[in-house]
Amino acid sequence: MKIDFSQLTELLQELKQNPYKLYPVYTPHTGKILEFLVKEGDAVRGPTGTWLEKPGTPLFVLEREKNPKIIRASHNGIVQDLRLDLVNKFVEAGEQVLTIRHPLSQEEVISEILLSALLIVRAPETARYILSPDLAKKLEKEGLGKVRVKTGDELLIMTFMKRETPITLSQEGQFVIFQLYFKPFELVQSGSPLIGLCPVEDLPNLEKLITRIKEEWS
Amino acid sequence: MREKILIANRGEIALRIMEACELLELDYVAVYTKEDEESLHVRRAKKKYRISDYRDMNDLLAVADEEKCIAIHPGYGFLSENYRFARRVIKRERPLIWIGPSWEAIRDLGNKLYMKKVAKELGIPIIPGTVDPLYNEIEAELKAEELLEEAEAQGFESISFLVKAVAGGGGMGIEEVKNLEEIRPVFRRVRAYAKRLFGEEGIIIEIKIPVFQHLEVQILGTKDGEYVHFGTRNCTIQSPFRQKRIELAPGFCERFQFNFDPKAVESAIINYSLKLAQHFNYDSVGTFEWLITPDGKYYLMEVNTRIQVENEISAKISFINGKQVNLLREQIRVALGDKLGYSQEDIEFRGMSLEFRLIAEDTRRGFMPLSGTITKFQFPDYPWLTVRTHVPQDRPYVIPTQFDPNLALAIIYAEDLENLLERSRRFLDEAIIEGITPKGDPLITNIPYLKEKLALIYQFI
Repeated sequence: MKIDFSQLTELLQELKQNPYKLYPVYTPHTGKILEFLVKEGDAVRGPTGTWLEKPGTPLFVLEREKNPKIIRASHNGIVQDLRLDLVNKFVEAGEQVLTIRHPLSQEEVISEILLSALLIVRAPETARYILSPDLAKKLEKEGLGKVRVKTGDELLIMTFMKRETPITLSQEGQFVIFQLYFKPFELVQSGSPLIGLCPVEDLPNLEKLITRIKEEWS
Repeated sequence: MREKILIANRGEIALRIMEACELLELDYVAVYTKEDEESLHVRRAKKKYRISDYRDMNDLLAVADEEKCIAIHPGYGFLSENYRFARRVIKRERPLIWIGPSWEAIRDLGNKLYMKKVAKELGIPIIPGTVDPLYNEIEAELKAEELLEEAEAQGFESISFLVKAVAGGGGMGIEEVKNLEEIRPVFRRVRAYAKRLFGEEGIIIEIKIPVFQHLEVQILGTKDGEYVHFGTRNCTIQSPFRQKRIELAPGFCERFQFNFDPKAVESAIINYSLKLAQHFNYDSVGTFEWLITPDGKYYLMEVNTRIQVENEISAKISFINGKQVNLLREQIRVALGDKLGYSQEDIEFRGMSLEFRLIAEDTRRGFMPLSGTITKFQFPDYPWLTVRTHVPQDRPYVIPTQFDPNLALAIIYAEDLENLLERSRRFLDEAIIEGITPKGDPLITNIPYLKEKLALIYQFI
């Protein structure tokens, strides 16, 4: 398997033309929406700080079992599609209440590019995943972009319907673990990316491309 | 205005609760999560709310208040045996009725060690074993020596022990020990495992019963202290992970050979179950699970303080004034304060019933549950057959992976054993479950396994 670099350049062009992503905001659980704390067109901020310890901009108040809870922005951007009709209404879990139009940052552009460039190991089932213990140890020591894996190596352990199943690399070749897309034990939807692998021979070119994006996208 | 019940569960049990509510002329509200949007329980309910999780107590209570429900039915699984939730439901500013036993009974009977302690004090037989958790291997060895003597006195032969983590269950944290010298090393191993996995080191030791039948007693109690039973069930046929696959009512069939009087054993376990229920003022449906040895010894194993999946096979063979019983209806009625209106003498047992649990699982590869899409789902239509399922038959259905993998329950009724077996075989031959896995392979179900195991019903295994 080889990376198609011309296709990546095309994708980069597209992202330059429309450098935004829409993030819908849903109610995490049932309850009554007491009030909105933002207006249509307001700029909001996601969590900030080294450890994302400073919470995002308050968006609205959801009350359930007498506990009012402030729902905050998870991304930077501009508020749109505010559902003002929901104020003082009882809402279900997972109701979309507004959307944040988020300008893509340099890192996000890189991650979009990587998602097309890398060989992506996707979740075979909606389940919980952890890295295989040996691999986790190596990654902790050497970091991303260094650890090599080959056909048949155990990559992940899937916890599914209360059982644990190992997931091995089925593609032919030698790869470097370049990106991780999941948190241990978090529920991952079937088909979502878990690991991004780069063919060993493409590693220098991919790193060059990333340096270029960093220069062009400030 | 009709009173309203919140159905705090999913799938087929939510559907059976809806049916019981309709029989009682009660309104109901259903809940569901995003993964369950295609489930029939969502389609059937007129009033329903999407919640974040079936275990989210706040969501359930918020919906109950919003809809002015007067009671919550927890079904089975999820919060049904959570005594903290049962307590919260009745002790809040706007109290609700908990359709289940009192929270104290859930707490006390759900604690297996405490339940066994009380059972022992009341003279109810439990498997010879330690009643308090052990933390020290020397103490464990001493206890094992005592147990060996006790078991020999009871006539056990070639005795082995089970070293079990108190916090374990479902086959985890349990090891068999064949002779006394191994007790200490195995004890240390299980203790280390339990500490790592469950964060709790307590260990108990029991005598292993190698061959047995698993019987259970269905009881019903009311707040007024009325008690009846709906006979026994036989749930011996289970997966290697101790999950039931075929259940039968009644618990014993006289057509099989016994080395003991099955009637006497049955009436003994019923009476002991009622005795324990009365001790805890048990005021709902409940199941007392017993282990029966080939020579007719019986031991109480655990109490399930909820409605069970297999309740309906007992209902099928129980008649009051010539009418078949509905145990969910009885459970709800009693929770709302009704008296029984009948006594044990009014319950007549007639015929036999069998339940199959139809599951997408690979029984040849460790009973691995399978995900995928059901593309064809068909059952024959007979007066002796009831199929309980949340899987739609008119469109493809993606099996959600967050829940247990049950697809359907098939409940078969017959007057006698020959007919029961013949009908059960016919059902398995005629049922069609087809589908594909995410990899594109045909979906496997446990139907071949059920066909094979049908030959073993009512036997000691």
